[in-house]
Amino acid sequence: LFATVLCWSSLRKSLSNTNRSKGGKQSRSGGGRKGADDQEEEEQPLQAVLIADSFNRRFFPITKDQPRALLPLGNVAMIDYTLEFLTSTGVQETFVFCCWMSHKIKEHLLKSKWCRPTSPNTVHIITSDLYRSLGDVLRDVDAKNLVRYDFVLVYGDVVSNIDVTQALQEHKHRRKVEKNISVMTMVFKESSPGHKSRCEEDDIIVAMDTKSQRVLHYQKTQGLKKLQFPMNIFHNGSEDFEIRHDLLDCHISICSPQVAELFTDNFDYQTRNDFVRGMLVNEEILGNQIHMHVTKDGYGARVSNLLMYDSVSSDLIRRWVYPLTPEANFTDREGPPCTHSRHNVYRGPGVSLGHGSQMVENVLIGCGTSIGADCHISNSVIGSNCNIGDNVTLDCAYVWNHVTISKNVTISQSVVCDRVEIREGVRLNKQCVLAYNVLIGPNVSLPDGTVVSMHHPDEEEEEDDDEFLSDGDADASQSKEKNKQKGFNPAEVGVEGKGFVWKTSSLDDTEDEELSQCLWGLVLNPDPESDSEASEPDDPDDPVIPSPEMDDVKVFELEVLGTLQRGLEENIGCDNLVVEVNSLKYAYNITLREVMQMLTRVVLEFPFQQQQGVQLSAAQYATVLLPLIERWAPLFKNYVKKAQDHLDCLSAFEEHFLEQEKHWPAMIKVLMSMYQLEILEEELIMRWFSQGATTDKGRQLRKNQGLQKFIKWLEEAEDESSEDE
Amino acid sequence: MELQAVLMAAGGGSRMMDLTYNTPKPMLPVGNKPLMWYPLNLLERVGFEEVIVITTKEVQKMMSTDPKMKLEVKMKLDVVCIPEDTDMGTADALRHIQQKIKTDILVMSCDLITDAALHEVVDLFRAHNATLAMMMSKAHEFTETVPGQKGKKKTAEQRDFVGVDESGKRLLFMANEADLEEGLSIRKSIMRKHPRMHIKTGLVDAHLYCLKKSVVDFLAENKSISSIRGELVPYLVRKQFSKAANSQTTKDEADEQSQKQKDGNVNLDLHILSRDEPLLQLAQAYSCWNDHRGDMSDAYHGGTLRCYVHIMEQGLCYRVNTLAAYIEANRLIGSDSIIGAGGQIAEKTSIKRSTIGNSVTVKEKVKVTNSIVMHGVTIEEGCNIQGSVICSNAVVGRGADLKYCLVGNGQRIEPEAERTNEVIVGSDQLMEI
Repeated sequence: LFATVLCWSSLRKSLSNTNRSKGGKQSRSGGGRKGADDQEEEEQPLQAVLIADSFNRRFFPITKDQPRALLPLGNVAMIDYTLEFLTSTGVQETFVFCCWMSHKIKEHLLKSKWCRPTSPNTVHIITSDLYRSLGDVLRDVDAKNLVRYDFVLVYGDVVSNIDVTQALQEHKHRRKVEKNISVMTMVFKESSPGHKSRCEEDDIIVAMDTKSQRVLHYQKTQGLKKLQFPMNIFHNGSEDFEIRHDLLDCHISICSPQVAELFTDNFDYQTRNDFVRGMLVNEEILGNQIHMHVTKDGYGARVSNLLMYDSVSSDLIRRWVYPLTPEANFTDREGPPCTHSRHNVYRGPGVSLGHGSQMVENVLIGCGTSIGADCHISNSVIGSNCNIGDNVTLDCAYVWNHVTISKNVTISQSVVCDRVEIREGVRLNKQCVLAYNVLIGPNVSLPDGTVVSMHHPDEEEEEDDDEFLSDGDADASQSKEKNKQKGFNPAEVGVEGKGFVWKTSSLDDTEDEELSQCLWGLVLNPDPESDSEASEPDDPDDPVIPSPEMDDVKVFELEVLGTLQRGLEENIGCDNLVVEVNSLKYAYNITLREVMQMLTRVVLEFPFQQQQGVQLSAAQYATVLLPLIERWAPLFKNYVKKAQDHLDCLSAFEEHFLEQEKHWPAMIKVLMSMYQLEILEEELIMRWFSQGATTDKGRQLRKNQGLQKFIKWLEEAEDESSEDE
Repeated sequence: MELQAVLMAAGGGSRMMDLTYNTPKPMLPVGNKPLMWYPLNLLERVGFEEVIVITTKEVQKMMSTDPKMKLEVKMKLDVVCIPEDTDMGTADALRHIQQKIKTDILVMSCDLITDAALHEVVDLFRAHNATLAMMMSKAHEFTETVPGQKGKKKTAEQRDFVGVDESGKRLLFMANEADLEEGLSIRKSIMRKHPRMHIKTGLVDAHLYCLKKSVVDFLAENKSISSIRGELVPYLVRKQFSKAANSQTTKDEADEQSQKQKDGNVNLDLHILSRDEPLLQLAQAYSCWNDHRGDMSDAYHGGTLRCYVHIMEQGLCYRVNTLAAYIEANRLIGSDSIIGAGGQIAEKTSIKRSTIGNSVTVKEKVKVTNSIVMHGVTIEEGCNIQGSVICSNAVVGRGADLKYCLVGNGQRIEPEAERTNEVIVGSDQLMEI
């Protein structure tokens, strides 16, 4: 049969149009895959790779019982949003890769509408416990040769209504024009900084080429104050670049099949971030480029932490993700859908509301839930079959299914998972999380950020290694045993309470960097203005710019110092040093007089430079300096020629010792050696001495005993010599 | 009077030494008019009645004799000479004339030839109550062959990186490639305020600035800044986002007092901050107008120092500061050829796409194509001159053939010479370089 198909396909190339359709039919009836292949060459069905695992543990301990992709968002599992997005954008074949709790995801998908025969999007579920990262998945894609055309790469927790058709066309066009250079098109959504759906952790900065929409630089900005862009990204011949901080990474990328190959080639790529960085840095070597597509009016966000969960949920209820709305029932569940009324209040079938209860705005209540009297509910999502008592206040609460809440409970901005029971008078402050099956109460108040789970925080460390391998059921039984061993703390969870409080500190000691961040993600925007402005000092180069002349002299001094140091290290002769200093003199346009002063100063300060930080005594200073002066005597002689030169040299000498009062004892030795080496002439030393000082200190210096003696000695020597004559 | 115009005409033309050896840059003939006539004419057209011209003694003398300057410039020129040997920068020059500055100023360079609508720059300055508004233009590719340059040498000049906001008007960033060796670095807080920054590299600064009076006062206090383009503008651009500039509005009163006291110790920066007048502040507070999207903070994010740039997308904008630009500018002025007054052009000559200066003698059978011939030049019989620049008072001998050459001031080209792609200047001139 296969042979006939092959035969057919080769024949087809020579056949006319009418025959082609016939050939297609033939091969399809044959059931051979090859025939389908041929047809695809014309149509290229859109494929997608959906990764139903986050490979991190940001949702711990919730995800201990349920994989992230199945967590309900607006009472629908997150993966359903992703699949709906893919289907509506025209994807015909989706590969879902699962690792953590793959059986649950598989079970969910098999029951869902995606696996019905009528589904326009064929879903293949591929599970393996060996996937540890996105890189592993894509390497597997390459190994199994699953994708043949451009495909969409998404995570199982992306909620979006973006139509990627245009981005796809652009991508294909680029690949056609530039011969497969562009390997990926990243989809971004425009949203200004500080927008609620931008979380600090995922904040990015992108440098792009305006004309070609090419990504030149991609970086997460978390924790950065200054954004650095390497210069080589601006050397591509373009004149127009953009640096954009107004983009939200939707984590939707259109990839060419090359991407999977590149992951195989670079086995150290773990995340998409690694990949993008690798492509951009090695652009010149590998010749692969990444482009971007910015959408203005779509919605796309990844639920990467609870803060994002909060904002995406509220966006969903406020209908920003239209047509994915709570009442749309796109998952095709049985039974009547929920109703939508004013102020974005959605009520599922069979919801009963007690007397005096208010659903203020942005409320979604699942089917079969009953709410008692005098409740006040706003900006919240309540799952199905919950039981809520009287006088309960919920604000920004996410209550999942089968939850029982007794009367007089207050919950604000918290997540309450399935089958949790909250007893009377409990108060949940902001950012609390009650994981599955927890019981709280009565009459306790949980402080901000409390996380309660039936799993003991310690057991996580013990199981750390076989985390991904362990089976969910085994987990549960194990934890039950432990519960018996370690009792619950009634002060924390209430007298009747069941559950362990997870402290952030216990998360901190695990090595995993991801874990050290709290479940809710960073506190969003602690007022960006104040934090950035207050903590940042002015640019160091901000205040007065030094005038260029000043600079030159300073630079010259440093250069002379460097030259001398090098001369010492490499044993360069004085002649060569003279040449170097001369060239520096011209380079920085320094007068001869300044050269003299700088040279004297540099030499006199040389011992300090050599032994940095060490306090030199006068004697030590002299022992270090004297050989140097001897060594560089020719250098001095080259510059100190006229009388004025001597005086300049001496004034620099004086200046130096005025600053270094401690070294006055050494002064005389230095002067003596300079005299003996015939750098300085006695007559001019005398003149300098007698010409007097301009400052008190200078006078003081001249009164120095040693100096007085030296001068006297000089005078006598002069007398003697004159007598001789 | 809203703006005082200041024309900077003291530059030496250091990038085209061969041309400016005898004629100072402001007086170089372009289309038989001195270069500085063009900016003056522009100012006159938009209605300025008085201009402060900063220049050297030499130029002043030449200006007083040049007929074009006398007859065609009707504005009152207040010529201020600066000492020639001190090497003053443009900012130094502004400091020099601080006493004359009574209002905000418009500073122009003498080498700008443009048909730009000046009001665009001034409107930006007005609309945003800006401290600085400047003009830039897309860089031009020079198509003409430049004498003395072999082939199409791409001048590897360092590019300027100019960052503007989404509207393309607010100036956010400015640096030269040379200073960016370690990469381009931008503070995140700036990106927060202006999340979409365009970085443009192919721009030429037209050296046309509107500056607040307070900036001139600031310069008077702050003597270390010597050039407008090199130091002052980058400083102002950076200052927009510094803390002092932003905290201004909050502790207004304290500042006001300190400014009134003028202790002398008052932070130098304070002078530079253009303070919005109380009424304007009130208007801003009550207005729902905002200069940005995405958040609800005040217009300009409360910053009081603002720099704007007008980028010319099309139109003519040349800075005549190199030989190539000079040739290009000459080509653009006038449609085909211009011939100055008082010259003698003999029969059977052909002059195409060329500019011929005053009192030029052209003998018979001479062909001049694509060239610039300055005043007082003599071209003997049968010469062929193509793509060349002949400076004043030069003599080209009989039958000489010059292609893409630059002939220096007063040079003599021997008869029957054949020169291609050469710079012919006197030996004393060579020493200068």
